[in-house]
Amino acid sequence: MGKSHEKLLNNLEELRKTAGLTQQELSESAEVSRKSMNAIENGVYVPSTVLALKIAETLDCKVESLFKLPKN
Amino acid sequence: MTFFKRFLVLFICGAVQVFFATYLLLELLGFGLAWHLMNHDIMFIPGILVFLGSGYLTFSYYFLSDEQSNNALYDEFNALRYYKLATAGYVINGMGIFVLYSMQDWSNWSFELANNMIYQIAAFAWLIFGVLLVWFALGDLRESRNG
Repeated sequence: MGKSHEKLLNNLEELRKTAGLTQQELSESAEVSRKSMNAIENGVYVPSTVLALKIAETLDCKVESLFKLPKN
Repeated sequence: MTFFKRFLVLFICGAVQVFFATYLLLELLGFGLAWHLMNHDIMFIPGILVFLGSGYLTFSYYFLSDEQSNNALYDEFNALRYYKLATAGYVINGMGIFVLYSMQDWSNWSFELANNMIYQIAAFAWLIFGVLLVWFALGDLRESRNG
């Protein structure tokens, strides 16, 4: 897990790099700004359900492997 | 439409508004400015700029931009940035109105003073709105440089 929001752990950067995509490419595919993608990766912003699903669809993975709730 | 173009539109609107609102507020608070606007018709300029700016942004959204640009310019993170700034605006306006209330001469209260206080509150809110426009515009400038 990379840098994460206190209420949501994320694995986005690792999975994005594994897929060989830049933040710009992923953001275009998920129909948001690159800044949004950067903010999510750095744990600044928690995405909406729709956006999380779009990212998962683009990276061909489950939302659960992208985002996890912290334990306690 | 790009982040840089939106920065230009909002920054010009905001900066002009900050200038006029600051001038008006200082005049109303009784600061002895060394110069004065001789033609008060130009006080309409900030309002006209905001009207034209918002019209251009709306027109651009529907007729000039492609879907990809609109997705980036008006996504949920930008909406959150807008809400946060609006919240800051409410808080600052609330504190400002409290201060403006506190500094009035209530012992010699008159309709003239009441009228002046209403103008002060309006000028202050106008100033804060201008500052928020500039603030939001600077976020667009940062994005245009990084993106």
